[in-house]
This record gives sequence, C-alpha cells and structure tokens, in this order.
Amino acid sequence: MTEDRVFFNHAVTGESHTLAEYRERGGYGALTRALTTMQPVDVENEMKASGLQGRGGAGFPVGNKWGFVNKKAPIIYLACNADEGEPGTFKDRWILEHAPHQLVEGVLLASYALGVRHAFIYIRGEFDLPLRRLQHALAEARAVGLVGERILGGAFSCDIIVHRGAGAYVCGEESSLLNSLEGRKGYPRNKPPFPAVKGLYQKPTVVNNVETLSTVPWVIANGGAKYAALGVKKNPGTRLFGVSGHVERPGLFERPTGYSLKQLITEDAGGVLGGRALKAVIPGGSSTPILTAAEVENITLDAEAMSRAGTMSGSGGVIVIAEGTCMVRLLQVLTRFYAHESCGQCSPCREGTDWMNRILERVIAGQGTAGDLDNLRAIPTGISGNTVCALGDAASMPVTSFLRKFGDEFAYYVAHGRSQNDGRLTV
Amino acid sequence: MSVHVVSVVPKRPATVAATPLDATLRAQFDALRAVYPTEATPSLVLPLLHCVQEQRGWVSEGDALMIAHYLGVPAVQVEEAASWYSMFRRAPAGRHVVKVCRNIACSLRGAESVVAHLESRLGIKVGETTADGRFTLQTVECLASCGTAPAMQVNDTYHEQLTAERIDAILGELS
Amino acid sequence: MKVTINGREVEAHEGENVLQLARRHDIEIPHFCYHQKLSVAGNCRLCLVKVNGLPKLMPACNVVAMPDMKVETEAEEVKKARRDVMQFILLNHPVDCGICDKAGECRLQDYQHEYGPAESRSADPKIHRRKLVELSPRISLDNERCILCSRCVRFTREISKSNALGIVERGAQSFVERTGEGPFDDPYSDNVIGICPVGALLSRDFLYASRVWFLEPVRSVCNGCARGCSVQVWRRRKEREQQAPGMARTHSAYRVTALDNPAINGPWICNKGFDLHKTMARPRALQARTGGSAATLETALDAARALLARAQRPAVLASAHASNEELDALAAALGSRPKLQVYVREDCRPAPGEVVEDHLLIRADKNPNTTGARQRFGDRPFDLAAGHDLLLLWGEVGEADVPDGVRWIHLASFESPASARADVVIPVSTHFERAGHFTNFEGTLNAFEPVFDKPPGVLHAADAFRELAR
Repeated sequence: MTEDRVFFNHAVTGESHTLAEYRERGGYGALTRALTTMQPVDVENEMKASGLQGRGGAGFPVGNKWGFVNKKAPIIYLACNADEGEPGTFKDRWILEHAPHQLVEGVLLASYALGVRHAFIYIRGEFDLPLRRLQHALAEARAVGLVGERILGGAFSCDIIVHRGAGAYVCGEESSLLNSLEGRKGYPRNKPPFPAVKGLYQKPTVVNNVETLSTVPWVIANGGAKYAALGVKKNPGTRLFGVSGHVERPGLFERPTGYSLKQLITEDAGGVLGGRALKAVIPGGSSTPILTAAEVENITLDAEAMSRAGTMSGSGGVIVIAEGTCMVRLLQVLTRFYAHESCGQCSPCREGTDWMNRILERVIAGQGTAGDLDNLRAIPTGISGNTVCALGDAASMPVTSFLRKFGDEFAYYVAHGRSQNDGRLTV
Repeated sequence: MSVHVVSVVPKRPATVAATPLDATLRAQFDALRAVYPTEATPSLVLPLLHCVQEQRGWVSEGDALMIAHYLGVPAVQVEEAASWYSMFRRAPAGRHVVKVCRNIACSLRGAESVVAHLESRLGIKVGETTADGRFTLQTVECLASCGTAPAMQVNDTYHEQLTAERIDAILGELS
Repeated sequence: MKVTINGREVEAHEGENVLQLARRHDIEIPHFCYHQKLSVAGNCRLCLVKVNGLPKLMPACNVVAMPDMKVETEAEEVKKARRDVMQFILLNHPVDCGICDKAGECRLQDYQHEYGPAESRSADPKIHRRKLVELSPRISLDNERCILCSRCVRFTREISKSNALGIVERGAQSFVERTGEGPFDDPYSDNVIGICPVGALLSRDFLYASRVWFLEPVRSVCNGCARGCSVQVWRRRKEREQQAPGMARTHSAYRVTALDNPAINGPWICNKGFDLHKTMARPRALQARTGGSAATLETALDAARALLARAQRPAVLASAHASNEELDALAAALGSRPKLQVYVREDCRPAPGEVVEDHLLIRADKNPNTTGARQRFGDRPFDLAAGHDLLLLWGEVGEADVPDGVRWIHLASFESPASARADVVIPVSTHFERAGHFTNFEGTLNAFEPVFDKPPGVLHAADAFRELAR
C-alpha cells in the first residue's frame, strides 16, 4: 500500500529522479502547503507529532532536536548528513540516486521550520552518481524557483550548498561533520556545547540524516499523526532496511518498524545464500552488537526489541552471516576498519582501536594467546564511554559481542593457531 | 620480534614554497568560492583540495600552502586536512586508481578474491602502481555498495557485483 | 553557588570548570591536555570524573560547575578509567625516562606512579616514530614520547599565533609536525617546551645538560625588555655542585624557564627570556682599569673620585638595567652633589632582526627598568652639547656610545672593546648576583633573587657609588 511507503511508492526508472516525475507523484506539494498555509512552528510540531527518530543510527527524535534551536538567533544552519559510511548501510545512496528531490523538499521544509537561510548537504566524497543526481536535482529546483531567493514567490529564501567530504567515516558523526564543513580535520567536538546551541561556525545548527529529512515531506503531506501510526508506537514509521552479506537477494527494503528480522532475511532477501544455515546477523550496521541465529528467530526491527536483545537497530544495515564463516577473520575486517577511521584525537580510541586490530592480526597469523583474548575483552571496557565521540563505542561493540557470542571460535584459533572455518569469509 | 613501523615520514624541508596559482585554477577557485556564504570561506578548504587533485592527480605541500594563501586561512589548517582525509593523494598515482572495498559486506561476498584477481592481472600489490603508470591499486573502506557487493571504484566510477569476468572487462576498457 | 565534591560541600565560582573547582579545594584531578590559558581540547580523557551519579563519566575540564552539582573524583569507575586511559597513553610510549630530560618533572611519570596500571597489558611491540627531530635550532621533537595532547598546537594557534605546529595524519599514525612555509622561528617557540607534559618537546640548549633534580630554580626577572617577565633561573643545588672539571658549570645557569606571574607575563616568556642565562654568561668585565691598563679596585676608585672632584659639570648616565635599589643608592650617594646631572640611559636598543613590539609580551624598550630610572631621575634627554666635562657611563657601551673629547668612567658588567677607551673602568655585578626590583613599563614592581655570588674583584654598583661619594 503506497500510503504506507515513504520511499518505495513508485517504480524506479531512468527518469524517476527528475523533477517532472517527482512532481507527478505529488512532489513539492508538502512544501507548497507549508509555505502557504503553515507557520514554521507548525512544521516543527508536525515533526514532533510524527515521533520520527533520526535515521542515521543514533535515533534521536527529530522534533526534539529542532526544538532545541533558539529560533531568534540571527543565523541558523542546517546540515544534511549524506556522509553514509556505516558498513552495511546503503539507503541514503538510494535516496540521492533515485529520489533526490524528496531530500531537497525535506531540506527546504526543515529550513523553513528552523529559519535557515543556507543549508548544507555534506555528501561523502566517494559518491559519484549520487552527487551528480543531487546536483542535477538542485539545478532543476533552482531553475523553477524552488531553491534560492523567495521560494514559490513567498518570503522564504533558502540556498542549498552541496559540500563533498573526502574519505572519513568519522565525519558521519555530527560534530565531526561540522568541523569538516568548516574546512578542518573531522575531529569530533566535546559536548557541551551541542550543535543546536553552537554548531557550524558556532551558530545554532541542526544536523539530520538524508533519510530523516527525506521523510519530512511525507509527514507534512499526510500529517504527523499518520506517521506516528505506522510501525511500532515508541519507534514509529517505516525504514529503509538494507540487507547484505550471505543472502540470495541483497538490497533495500522499506518496511514498518516492528517488522520481523527473520522475515526480512528469509523472505524479502531470499534467505541465506545457497540455502545454508544462518550463523549470525549484525542488525543495524557494523557498530551494532552481533546476534546469533537463535537470537534472530523472534526479534523485530524496532528500537525496544533490539535494546532488549542487547543491540541496536542503528542505521538499519542488516548484515547476514552464514554457517561456515570464520568469525575471527570477520571481526578483524571490522577492527581494521575502525583503526583506519579513528580520527586520532582522543587517547582511548586512537590507541585502543589500533591495539585491538594488531592483536587480531597476530591471532589470525597464528600467534595469538589466551592473554590476547583477555585483552580483547578488557580493552573495550576502557574505551567505551571514555571517548569524545561514539566511534570508540562503535569500535568496541563488535569486539565485545563477537567474543561473547563466538568465544569458542576465538579460543580455538588461539589454541590451534588457525581458523576453525578455514578462514572463510565467503560461502 | 619485528619492529612495527607504522609510517615512514620523509624529513620536512626547512622551507616549503607555495605552488603558484595559475589562472585556470584560480578561476575554478573563484567559482567554488562564489557558492558559499562569505562567513563560510574557510569551508572551501576541502573543495579546493579536491579541485587541485582533480587537476594534478595529487596534492603537494606547496598546493596546500597555495590554498591557504588564497583563502587567508593558516597553512596548518590546510596541511592538516590534506594529510587527514583518505581521498587526498600526497604523491602521484596511476592514471586509473582502482579502489577495492575491503569492508564487511564486500568481504562476505568475495572482496579478497577481487583483490587477488586484480593483483594478478595488474602484476602489482595493493598500494603499488604499475610500471607503465596506468593503474594504482588500493583498498578502501565501505563505499555504500553493500547490496551490490563486491564493489570497487575506479577513479570516480563505481563498479559493483564484480566477478573475474567483469573485472577483466572493466580493465580492458581502460587505456 | 554550592556544589558537592567527594561528599564535601564547597563554593563554586560562576563559569569555572570542575578541574579548576577541584584544584581550588586542593583536590587534584589528573590531566594532560587542559591548560587554563588554552582552549579546552578534552582529548587526553584522564580528567574523567563522575558527575551527578551518571554512569557516563565526563571530562572535568569541559564540565562547568552548576548549582547543586555532585562531583566524585575517587569513585571506582573513575579510578578504573584513569588506569585504562594511562594504559592507552602508555601503550606506545617508549619509556625513555633513563635518557629523557623530562624525567623528574614529567606528568606522565607522576601520573603513572599514582594512577596507572602496574604493568602494561600489551604483548605487541611499540610503534616507533621519529625521534630527535629538529623542530627548530632551539627545540627537539620526539614523536614517540608525544601523547598528542595538542597543547603545543593550541599554543601556536591561540597565544603566539604563529600557527607553526599541527597534528597531521589520522588515528594512530597522527604526529605533531611543523607546518607552514618556513622554519619554526616563532619568538615564543620555547614555551611549548614548558607546557609539553612529557619529554616530547625539549630544549636543545639544555639537552642532556643535567638531571633536573640536581638543579633548583631561583626567582628572577628577564632584562630583555621593559615587560620584565618573571623567570626561573636554574642552578646546581649546593649539595650537587659539580667538582670537576673546574667550577665553571657551578657558576652558570643551566636553563631559564617561565615563572607564572599573573600581573605581568602570565605563564609565558619570549625566547629572549629563555636565553637569559646565555646573555648573562657573556664575557664579564672582571678587571678594574685606569687609562686602559689593569689596576686594583682601590686605584680605580681613587682615580674615579679624583676625576669627580675635578669635574665642573659631571653627568651620570644611569643604566636602565639598574635595579631600583642601585638607583636609590646613586641618588643617595651622588644625587645631591652640586652641578652633577643624572640622565637615564636606555642601554639597549632592538638588535637587527629582533622583534620590536608585538601583541603578546615583547616591548620596544629593550631595558627592564627604564620606568624605575625615570621615576627617580626624570626623562631629560642627554645632550653632550650641554657641556659636561666628565661622564659616568653606567651599563652597556657600544662604539657609538663612546663620548668624544670628554673623560669618562665606565661602570661595566660586561666586557666590551669600547670600555678599553674609558679613563676608569669599575666592574660591577649583574642582577643575577644580588636581590632587587625592577619597575616595568606598566609601573608594576617585580622582584629578583641572587642566583650566584658576584665574582671577586667586582663591586655592587650601590657600593661603588658609596665609594665614589667619599
């Protein structure tokens, strides 16, 4: 039913990203309605009523975040976080490639609600087609007066600037993104102050994810209450879940929150590759604690259920792992990633991520000891909660959860100097 | 036990001269600058670094100073940024920079084979450039192609759902 | 406002952070990157404390005291966090203590002893980095010892504004490096040596010169300009005096560091201040002279007294390097002598290439006590055409200062070729060799203590004036 779909409500063609097609499906109707019949605070209130939580991974309620901004400040910025980098996540890319106008409309609506004159879209530097499609959409929008001075002939003006990142996962963290936007290294900032108070160039700033902003037009068009009725109560709406790894049909699926994870894997994604048994699932991007096959049986894709299971729904990136995979080598893929992406600012993450990776490299080379596994259990407790930003926690959770749930495999590797699964990552 | 040397750092020369800003590049810089509100001029560090790399293939110390002068920001800001972001190359590379994703979803779908195949076809190891200057091979982190893994990026272009055959076809197209 | 720290109710000031609050109440929260004159970096994570019972610890440097706040600095979680943070900071630290100049005044040593884990848990070899990097002719950088607290970077960005230092590369590959076009010739560069909490930034002049526990600091004042910054001059402790070879090393200062003086220079001095011990170690005037030839002090004083007695219009050009006490002695001894004029002389001018004046400390007047001298003797400019027939030149004398066709007496601390042309030379002490005060350009008094005994055959100028008055 298309009214229950914020994104997958049309067939994707070679033209569906264009202004004409977007308008055909009702695009910019919400913006028109807002600019002509609503006050900025009405837009904010609809977002509050929707209960929409940030879709970048942190899940902070959008209306609340907007509410923190002092609307009387002379300059307020909006930064759209299009720095999609969480491993297992590829939904923002889809939106940029296939529904860029939906994002543009969302940015404009948010800017109207917040009183933003210059909005930035911070897009990761590697993106090629997403960047071109976004720039094309903005050119189309500017040409018809939807972006720029006096939008739709009214008093509201807003320019949208596309700003490319340059290869740094940590820039997906909102305060790191702001430092990067200011032309510096993406070192996250200590908080307080929070971006809503002192953000870009020390001005009040809201940072929102692509999917989050792209949901705003639907909410304004259909009403916040309608959005709040989708999915589960405390974590409402639909989400773009990405399924990757050992499945027959990897891809994106828009489903309401509360959807069965097992159903997503076995039905929507066609089940585990080659009909193999399921071994494990990382439910929300690589930074979320891993679940065993048993834990996946009855779990639903919503914040509360995930939290009860000791993990998070995160960015919605579901990574499926089949029986036969070497969990030790797989973990090292992640520790190598976090060590590479640690910004280097604070001591626990800078030293700890590199340390954990080196230990795993040694274990994999057959030189691990029981003491190494003790260290792998202990190091995360020294990082987690002690860092400037959540990358430290993100790096710690996989190590802790892999060791807790697949500890035998690690013990085997250390005892025998080799993998229990021939070091396999592919099946 | 072998010494774990993380990086070999060349000795910094006593003085570094800013690269002179030629007219073409200046025009591009001016065009980029016009996009941003005036109070956000320092934001231009990254766009200008990208601009230089697109023209030259890499970014030198002198280029970083040139950008600092143009923007009126301290040199340290540009030098730090140029050294911190993965995408900025600090030395010349091949005409086609092949960047293979080595992260989790791609690893589960055969990234290691992709790398091995490329190393074999190109005759170089990851981090190296072919003698004829055509290809540089690198591994990179998640490209957001998890649903179409394994994936790689050659210069700007994404190539996904890679197989040995596809890789050969892609390489064959590149001069 | 009232807050509770470790169960004790205390007063907190508006805007102060928990680190400052704790320190005011004699509770030391260990920290590396925080410095009260620099922006908050919050990167070392050593100052994490428990606030309002929340499970997530917070960095004390970035928590502003709020009414009824509850702070715990000794909770179990805090102690664990300190152990863990110390482990991370020490993970790749070379532990060069045996050959590192910072030993004995190193926060890393002190904190490891107090808060660190007993042993490293790491089984991996330490990452090696650059050592003995010539950051400048004055400063040596060791990237292995560096804990990346960024104090040095923030100093050059926020205080000296040379923006000379940065941290390049990412993650565990990060390292401090000189940036920008030229050499690191920031006139305040050496301050980074003091604020570096470890032995990563060291003075090349002081490199391997001595263990710091063999030395003791003496409070003094820099005489490089009219700011008169407070400094510490470091000498061998009495019980650690070196016996051989010769006593030269015993009678010289090993280094000069900044002494925090909120009224004058705060915690900083400029490089000229750091070099104070070297300028004070120039060849001294040790030999009294008459007519260019060596003489005894008695003979020289007799000759000087005779010249003074015969002079119709004598003038004293008082040194702006003189202390208030010496100037008072001059006034008392000779000030009321009829027809004797006292002028204030600014001995030192900016040297070629020297910073004249800047936004931070450096003043164009390169003398420490021009103000003290003018307060006593006015600011009439000296005019040779006024017909003085005898000059008592006190202080530094260059070729250009040698008076033409007039007899002159030189009260000198340092040797100079021009001095040989004086009719009488009386060697006098430097301010390292007595106690006294200078008055800086803002009228603020600053006290100095004697670092060494004066050499034999050298008079204190105050005594010289009393002798001349006889």
